[in-house]
Amino acid sequence: MSRRRTFSGGAHPPEHKELAEHAAIRRLPAPRQVKVALCQHLGAPSTPLVQKGDKVRRGQEIGGQNGFISLPTHSPVNGTVAAVEESSMPHRRTGPAVVIETESEDGGQVFEPWADYSAHEPAEIVERLRAAGVCGMGGASFPTYVKLSPPPGKKIDTLILNGAECEPYLTADHRLMLERTDEVLLGMGILAHALGASRAFLGIEANKPDAVSLFRVAGAEVVELVVKYPQGAEKQLIRAATGREVPVGGLPLDVGVVVQNVGTASAAARAVRDGEPSIRRITTVSGRGVRAPGNWDVCVGTPFSDLVEAAGGYTEDACRLLAGGPMMGIAQFTDAVPVTKGTSGIVVLSSREARGLAENACIRCGKCVDACPMHLVPCAIATAGEHGNWREAERYGAMSCIACGTCSFVCPSSRFLVHYIKRAQEAIRALPRAKEA
Amino acid sequence: MAEPRIFQVSVSPHVVSPQNTRRVMFDVVIALLPALAGAIWLFGFAGALMPVVLSVVTAVVCEYACLRLQKRPVNAALDGSAVVTGLLLAYNVPPGVPWWLPVVGSGFAIVVGKQAFGGLGHNLVNPALLGRAFLMASFPVLMTSGWQAPFAWQGAPSGYVTSGMPAQDLQALPNADAISGATPLRVMKDSFGLAPELGDAVRRELSSPQTRFNLLVGRRGGCIGETSIVLLLLGALYLFARGVLEPRLPLGYLGSVALFGWLFGGPGLLRGDPLFSVLAGGVVLGGFFMVTDMVTTPVTPRGKLIFAVGAGLITTVIRRWGGYPEGCSYSILIMNLATPLIDRYTRPRILGEVKSRA
Repeated sequence: MSRRRTFSGGAHPPEHKELAEHAAIRRLPAPRQVKVALCQHLGAPSTPLVQKGDKVRRGQEIGGQNGFISLPTHSPVNGTVAAVEESSMPHRRTGPAVVIETESEDGGQVFEPWADYSAHEPAEIVERLRAAGVCGMGGASFPTYVKLSPPPGKKIDTLILNGAECEPYLTADHRLMLERTDEVLLGMGILAHALGASRAFLGIEANKPDAVSLFRVAGAEVVELVVKYPQGAEKQLIRAATGREVPVGGLPLDVGVVVQNVGTASAAARAVRDGEPSIRRITTVSGRGVRAPGNWDVCVGTPFSDLVEAAGGYTEDACRLLAGGPMMGIAQFTDAVPVTKGTSGIVVLSSREARGLAENACIRCGKCVDACPMHLVPCAIATAGEHGNWREAERYGAMSCIACGTCSFVCPSSRFLVHYIKRAQEAIRALPRAKEA
Repeated sequence: MAEPRIFQVSVSPHVVSPQNTRRVMFDVVIALLPALAGAIWLFGFAGALMPVVLSVVTAVVCEYACLRLQKRPVNAALDGSAVVTGLLLAYNVPPGVPWWLPVVGSGFAIVVGKQAFGGLGHNLVNPALLGRAFLMASFPVLMTSGWQAPFAWQGAPSGYVTSGMPAQDLQALPNADAISGATPLRVMKDSFGLAPELGDAVRRELSSPQTRFNLLVGRRGGCIGETSIVLLLLGALYLFARGVLEPRLPLGYLGSVALFGWLFGGPGLLRGDPLFSVLAGGVVLGGFFMVTDMVTTPVTPRGKLIFAVGAGLITTVIRRWGGYPEGCSYSILIMNLATPLIDRYTRPRILGEVKSRA
């Protein structure tokens, strides 16, 4: 039995995985109307290629790539464009979206299926993943093809598939690993081939022993991780699994590592094996604010409200609607926002689960310092930031904060530390810089 | 279809651990109660309980009044922190003092030591210790003489004296009278002024198993809450079990008091008694309940160790060469003042940080 690995710091928020972890993935039929965000991925939004009244086919490119860090966007259904408009988004205030009246959802294969990916050059694979609009499915939505195109001189030797799923409540990755083990493994092979990585393995938290053993039986290498938040954060995962530290201000590729979410591997497998662009994802709907939590395979562009309805609707004391988990998820004021490629889950917290809105004075207990997985001094950054003392905030490492929320979680004074630190980050970025040497 | 719902929005994270400031403070109060029971057993209701009650009531009333005057939420007066300050102030005055002494000290602790600096979380030094320092400077005689012998409140001679030494053995020492009314640390301090053989005899007696046992149980003179080591340890164990106490500060402090006490707490180098250093005086109370005050100690892991060792060093220096027999409270106050500086220079290495600026 190999040793379970981890990083230093972190916390143990109640997992609440039991609400949805045993619910098999159900396919949700495409809604009457889908709203496909053109800003699903990190970087520049796609340029709309269709206009009101156009007929679109499933898998058709409806948004064109707009620069290097950008992706094309595809239609998840056959139908008619009802509008191209600015609309509320789960991950930002508003963004451009294409609204499509659904007619049917057959077809969708727009690229040539490749039965054997290893017969194709890495560059061909990277190009396919770009054209298929594959981005990180763990939440950050960074274009995958960019991660697979390291600058010349950077040699990648290790690919880590991130199956940690350390956010409480979320179980989509867990179900995916259980029900589509082969697809995830195929995706891992494709991504490793594209990178030329000599070692590829999965990192999975020990609270998913069934997934760990499935992959081990299938002959894949699995690094079992201690159940601790934020075990799935990129830098913490790399430190735990390989012992390497991503330098401050650097990227995983600086230490020869690329991390991809297991959902991304599945999307990559579909793009290569089936010739299907990234138009669907698996997402968890959970929390005590919905009646029947579970996991769904949905079209990108499905409104949150449809998914909540599929999960039995809201309970009496549903209070907060989150895109993502409770630690890093973004609170939504309305459920009229669409699922994007990065929607790992929809969590509806009851008023008993959600934290209050009040905070108390910092008593300098230092719990945040012990818990910070980046080894920062959150209370000092927050206090400096609160007083507009940006240089001081920077000195305590504000720019290295990954906004995981561990500090705010452990704080006995319930301080909104992440909020203050994020605000400090924005202010520090705007500070005039001394000339770079 | 239902009408569109509007949900509450807030910044992440959306969940918080159940531990909160109020629970922490009341855990500390609970942890201090065994020592109060011990104090009543040793010094009686009038001698021990009355000053404690007066001090706690004064602290809460002063906190309430200050918050009221500042037009801040007054229910913060019941968050437990004022209760802790009141308890600690009373634990740091001798038993049997006039009723107004803890009232004055506790009021000073809250009004000047805490609220003048901005209230909970903003005070520079430990309020209870500042209150004690104020009393020491203003009423030195009341604070440092006339120690009550254990069980004296029950009237009948109990056979225990304030120095913690076995009473029958004192007859053998020529300065028995001076010794019987003094605290163990005072006896230790005075022993350095005696003829060498005589001093050695006194110190041997202070390190005898009977004296050690008396010190452990608390059968000696001293401030109200500092004498019963066993009961203080019981409270500390409770705090450890509750996850409230982090071990670096208390263990670092007590460890360095023992180490430095052994190194130069005796008549010559390496001739001190480490066990006596920890058992006598107020370092167990200080180590578990005042060195650990969150507000006034460093937040960084290395900073906590530096604080603990620094306080241990200053305690020993004051005990051996300073004007007072005990240096616990002043050592903590001095290190409190150094805390912002310590935090500044002990920032942990950020994950992935290669080399900090030159």
